[in-house]
Amino acid sequence: MIRIQSLSKRFASFEAVRSVSLEVPKGAFLVLVGPSGCGKSTMLRMLAGLETPTAGTIAFGDEVVSDGDAGWGVEPSKRNAGLVFQSYALWPHMTVAGNVDWPLKVAGLAKAERQARVTEVLKLLGIEALGARYPNEISGGQQQRVAIARMIAPRPGILLFDEPLSNLDAKLRVEMRTELLRVHRATGATSVYVTHDQVEAMTMASHVAVLNNGEIEQFGSPHDLVRDPATAFVATFVGTPPANLIPVGPDLELVGVPTGAQAMFRPEHLRVSDKPRPGAIALEFAEASPMAGRTMITGTRGATRLTAVVDEAPDLAVGDTIYFALPSEPAAIFAASGERLK
Amino acid sequence: MTHALSLKAASQRWASGGLALKLAVLLALGVLVAAPLLRIFLETLGPDAIAAWTDVTASRLSRNLLWLPLANTMILGFGVAAGCVLIGGYLAWLVVMTDIPFRRTIGLMATLPFMIPSFATALAWGSLFRNSRVGGQVGFLEGLGLAVPDWLAWGIVPTLIVLIAHYYSLAFTVIAAALATVNSDLVEAAQIAGAKRGRILMGIILPVALPAIVAGASLTFAGAVSNFAAPALLGLPVRMQTLATRLFGLIEVGQTARGYVIAILLIAVSALFLWFGNKVISGRRSYATITGKGGRAKRFELAGARLPLFAVALAICVLTTIVPVLILIASSMAPSSSALFSNWTLHYWFGASDPAIAQGQAGVWHNPFILSATSLTVGLGVTVAVTGTALGLIVAFVLARHGRGPLAGAINQLSFLPLLVPGIAFGAAYIALFGAPIGPLPALYGTFPLLVIAGTAYLLPFAVQTGRAVIQQVSGDLDESARLTGAGFFRRMGAITVPLAIRGLAAGALIVFVKIMRDLSLVVLLFTPTTPLLAVLAYRYASEGFTQFANAITVVILVISIAATLLANRLQAKSQPWLKS
Repeated sequence: MIRIQSLSKRFASFEAVRSVSLEVPKGAFLVLVGPSGCGKSTMLRMLAGLETPTAGTIAFGDEVVSDGDAGWGVEPSKRNAGLVFQSYALWPHMTVAGNVDWPLKVAGLAKAERQARVTEVLKLLGIEALGARYPNEISGGQQQRVAIARMIAPRPGILLFDEPLSNLDAKLRVEMRTELLRVHRATGATSVYVTHDQVEAMTMASHVAVLNNGEIEQFGSPHDLVRDPATAFVATFVGTPPANLIPVGPDLELVGVPTGAQAMFRPEHLRVSDKPRPGAIALEFAEASPMAGRTMITGTRGATRLTAVVDEAPDLAVGDTIYFALPSEPAAIFAASGERLK
Repeated sequence: MTHALSLKAASQRWASGGLALKLAVLLALGVLVAAPLLRIFLETLGPDAIAAWTDVTASRLSRNLLWLPLANTMILGFGVAAGCVLIGGYLAWLVVMTDIPFRRTIGLMATLPFMIPSFATALAWGSLFRNSRVGGQVGFLEGLGLAVPDWLAWGIVPTLIVLIAHYYSLAFTVIAAALATVNSDLVEAAQIAGAKRGRILMGIILPVALPAIVAGASLTFAGAVSNFAAPALLGLPVRMQTLATRLFGLIEVGQTARGYVIAILLIAVSALFLWFGNKVISGRRSYATITGKGGRAKRFELAGARLPLFAVALAICVLTTIVPVLILIASSMAPSSSALFSNWTLHYWFGASDPAIAQGQAGVWHNPFILSATSLTVGLGVTVAVTGTALGLIVAFVLARHGRGPLAGAINQLSFLPLLVPGIAFGAAYIALFGAPIGPLPALYGTFPLLVIAGTAYLLPFAVQTGRAVIQQVSGDLDESARLTGAGFFRRMGAITVPLAIRGLAAGALIVFVKIMRDLSLVVLLFTPTTPLLAVLAYRYASEGFTQFANAITVVILVISIAATLLANRLQAKSQPWLKS
């Protein structure tokens, strides 16, 4: 179990994390997701013990491991946590087996025990054949596996991942997602995973915290976030494709909603046509891509950008006028400042 | 049919391989680099000269001719390599990996000693520590009434110290660059594994930096065994010989065959260790950044050790940069080096000839010999900078465009061969080749062109490196994208290539200029009264006891080189990644 309470981190004049609180049970897969600079990596480094919080506490189970108010923290190596770095941080002068073995050696394990464990984790990650190679002799995906093997070898109760898939190509990324979840289940550990890719968050997480400007915008299951976004930011950040927000104003008049508020419409609720219809919004056709038997269509005009997912797409060229018809009721309404009105 | 086809293919390869250009470049490099080295070797195999090999290596004389100098040379080589790696590594670690105050300042100062010629540091040492053992003026410390023991005034100890003070910045640069690529993630990963500081240093940082440490050691080793100025100024007066000073002495007294044998052995020693270092490094895997992404600079917190470590670093930097320069300036104005800071006079700078002072030598400003030496030295520097850079650019171009096949391989090897050859041995090789007329060509010994040719060849590796950097910068995508717009060759040259390349070329040329300005070892054998050069004059004055003149000339060299170096750095906006925070 991980419990974070009022956690803050300030670097000189910059406040990277502002009073974040959340709690996940043992065995959870927590994903911290948000745009770059949102404070998610700082959160992870505080969990690892590489940074000390300026305020607030972190507890693993019943044990407080970081106490920002007291300016105190348990050493990284004594937290029963492992970290996979974005750069993998494989020690270049050690072989694959050496990389996995070294932390065990530092921990003072006997040789026979170490050998058995190294073999075991290399096998778990499917890289037992690479033991004698050096990190620069293997591919990026293999380096990634070595980094994970090295992390889980000492059997940590908490697995931390710092954007581990961002250096891999798209296909490998999908494979490694599955692989990571398998390792997560096999170890039974609690995982915290940092990414800027909401697809990774949606596919892997049991719990997601969407961070923006150092604060939690919303914390919940992937399903919660898509079905019931708490803020305009979350509504436009998660989901494939994300929901549309249309400012209430000349294009869209809603009874009882002040001008400047934003109405949310889901892509699957919009309809498109190449002919004008009453109440439809006219945009320029921008792009269309087929997905799972349907078509995703995007139209733009100035800063307005709408995406619809439809069964039948009109045959249009880029720049043609396309009409987006909205359902009578928006799925949600947000204030101009972003908070949910209804 | 097949025959005709293969002929056609062959002729295409001819054209595309730039064969004529390659042959021309190879010929030039052959004359400049290979011929002198072959010649010096062949000279020692002649019927009259072959005996020199036994004289040097296995005779009653060989103890003094070879073995003692060789022993001293090796002591200097290993001692300097060890000292430089320790000091350079220490400073590099502080600057790159810790939260030491004034990191940038220390990082900058640690690169300066290499810009100060080693004879300047040696002269400064003499002005401070000279004792009365060899007669002449005593140094400042004896002037204060302190008795300086012989071992500290002369011989191997001061030579070692001066060489370490000169070469450590080379080790610093190499090691700092390597440490800068050590991702702080690597250290944090070890922290998470539970390793303590000592274990992280020994288990992670040192092994990752090892190739750089070996490179730093072999470079400084080669520098120390090749160095002529420091052992000549501090060792020769008490008959301490190294291979370099022995080579100089033998050629000076006309025993050229024996001198050439020593030169060949010196090249062998220097090249052997450079080769060995290179082998150690390339045998291991390259540890340069394994991934591009991630990694942040988190500095090692020194806590309570911060100030003491800073004080040590600052002391090292000040003692090897500011102090020697100040001593040189003071001593160029003090009538007696035993009282460096009193009775200052500008006589040695601006005075007219006065029989009462320094046997009537006029001050630097009025001394026609020094003035002509200054213009000749600057002239040589400019000429070599231009010829060297031009040749370097051509070689780099040929290697970039037609870099395949045995000819290109030979060009590549030849262009970097001078790096392995100590300057004084290179000078000896040039005497061997150009000392006598070749066919219809007159002997070049004692002429300006010989100095230009020798300097160009000697500095070719640096010039080629500049050329490579420049070509890499401008060729490829940039040129191709200009080509796609339809711009012709000259249009592209004028609008893209030249503007991009000019700064790099100018900076590279300035570095060649500085290296020539302050070089002593290459020119000390090629020097004749008709071709006086500043560095050699300073050396001559110093060995004749006119220390003020020697120091004044050295200050002139320093001022010119530092100005040119600063200009070069500016042009280059030198990339020193370890100074970025």
